[in-house]
Amino acid sequence: MQVKELMSEEVITVKRCTTLKRLLEIFNKFHIFPLVPVVEEDNLLVGIVSFRNLINVFQFPQPEILKAVPFLDEEEEDIFKVEFTEEMGNLVVADDIMERKFITIREDASLEETYKLMKLHLKEEFPVVDRAGKLVGMIGIFDIIRHIFRQKGVIK
Amino acid sequence: MNTILGLGFILLTGLFSARLINKIRFPAVTAYLLLGILIGPSVFNLIPKDVINASGLISNIVLGIIAFGIGQNFARDNFRKIGKSVIWISVLEACGAWIFVTLVFLIILRQPFYLSLLFGAISSATAPAATVMVIREYRAKGNFTDTLLGVVAIDDAWCLIIFGISLAISQAIYAHMLANFFLIKVFFNSILSIFGAFILGGIVAMLLTYLSRYLRTQTELLIFTLGFVLLNIGIALWLKLSVLLANMFLGAILVNIHKSSFNFFESLKTVDLLLFLLFFVLAGANLEIGILGKLGLIGLAYLIFRVIGKMIGAGIGARISGASRSIKRYLGLGLVPQAGVALGCALIAKNDFPEVGGMIFTTIIATTVIYELIGPLCTKYALQKAGEVLIGHRQNI
Repeated sequence: MQVKELMSEEVITVKRCTTLKRLLEIFNKFHIFPLVPVVEEDNLLVGIVSFRNLINVFQFPQPEILKAVPFLDEEEEDIFKVEFTEEMGNLVVADDIMERKFITIREDASLEETYKLMKLHLKEEFPVVDRAGKLVGMIGIFDIIRHIFRQKGVIK
Repeated sequence: MNTILGLGFILLTGLFSARLINKIRFPAVTAYLLLGILIGPSVFNLIPKDVINASGLISNIVLGIIAFGIGQNFARDNFRKIGKSVIWISVLEACGAWIFVTLVFLIILRQPFYLSLLFGAISSATAPAATVMVIREYRAKGNFTDTLLGVVAIDDAWCLIIFGISLAISQAIYAHMLANFFLIKVFFNSILSIFGAFILGGIVAMLLTYLSRYLRTQTELLIFTLGFVLLNIGIALWLKLSVLLANMFLGAILVNIHKSSFNFFESLKTVDLLLFLLFFVLAGANLEIGILGKLGLIGLAYLIFRVIGKMIGAGIGARISGASRSIKRYLGLGLVPQAGVALGCALIAKNDFPEVGGMIFTTIIATTVIYELIGPLCTKYALQKAGEVLIGHRQNI
């Protein structure tokens, strides 16, 4: 069975310019830790935002390029003490904090492969893309587990 | 003290001394080095001999890991993102220090060519830790800051290439000083060492990519990546190729052929801090205090002309790429610190050239400590001059 047969096609997405304030409102609607894809106008997937990235707001922006640099001291921020003003909610946007390197799954991938990758990378959810890298859905570990239970007849 | 007790002692004292020095806003690297000097044979002699003897082993592993990580910079889309100024400035400041220090050592200090070349090559490295720390501390923002961050991030990639070439030339000169066809041999050996490293890195990257499909867990991913990095280091040592270049090429090729290569690099981050700590403490412990007194002029020349070379190189790079006036003038001042890559290169030189190795290494470690202490002040001055620091708005977190 392929991912596209099981994935959810209704996905809440945001744009690069979505503000922090709006992101927090969107996150509030979820019951779990959400993973929200960031897409361009044509649905091209460019990033993902999770609650971990929200914490990055409190840190000084670190350019992508510094990730390859050895011996950098981790910046420690005390999120309980940091100065943060109300207008930052409108100034910080998804593009500032989103993850640019992440795992995606192709819509024609098999469920076995997807499950294996989820276990390898300790992720519960992957964005699903087509050949051109456009977002077509999301697949979660629960979708796969539920599918197996359904196959075994435990649920209808 | 037995070996295991020694290791435990190094890890714990290293951890807490880094915390301590962080309070006065110096990078952890400085703490590890000073700790190494203090507990090493030169001062309190608390590190067991076996551990000190393992310095070569640990430094080869650490350098392999560093070079592998630096290879990530060569991702196809990276250079487009980095921009023209950063590339010009970083290439020219690295070459500036290389050429300047080599010439000063050769002409003014009258040192042999192979030795001057080694000092020159080591001087091209820059350590970003102190610079990044100052930028974060003062919340500096702007064009100057962005260019500086880009330059310190990519600089070590050029240093590895420069050192790879220089080491191959120096080794060839050293080994064949009396041989016939001298120049041909020097040329041939250098080409062999560099292209061999490229081919080795390429083959290992392809093998790694092919076998990665069998991985199932995060732990396997770490073991797999570390295993391949060690394999690559080992084969490079065995075939007498450049360890640094072989691993940099492994990282560089991997990042371009594997879709989610970032996972391999990230997985190493769980162990690299521990290895870096050991590496720096042992580097400090290897300081030969007896040589320190004799260094005088060599140390001073290195200290001064490395910075001048970097400033001139950065200035020319900024001019060519049409960067702003403050970048032309002050960017070089943000490139003062040296640390891991310079020490690693010096350790390789120490192993390969036993007669002069102690002198090279002690010079580099002494200058590293000085640079790490004055580097932050220079960076702060440069940022202030560029008008990208808002004094008084410093956050105390």
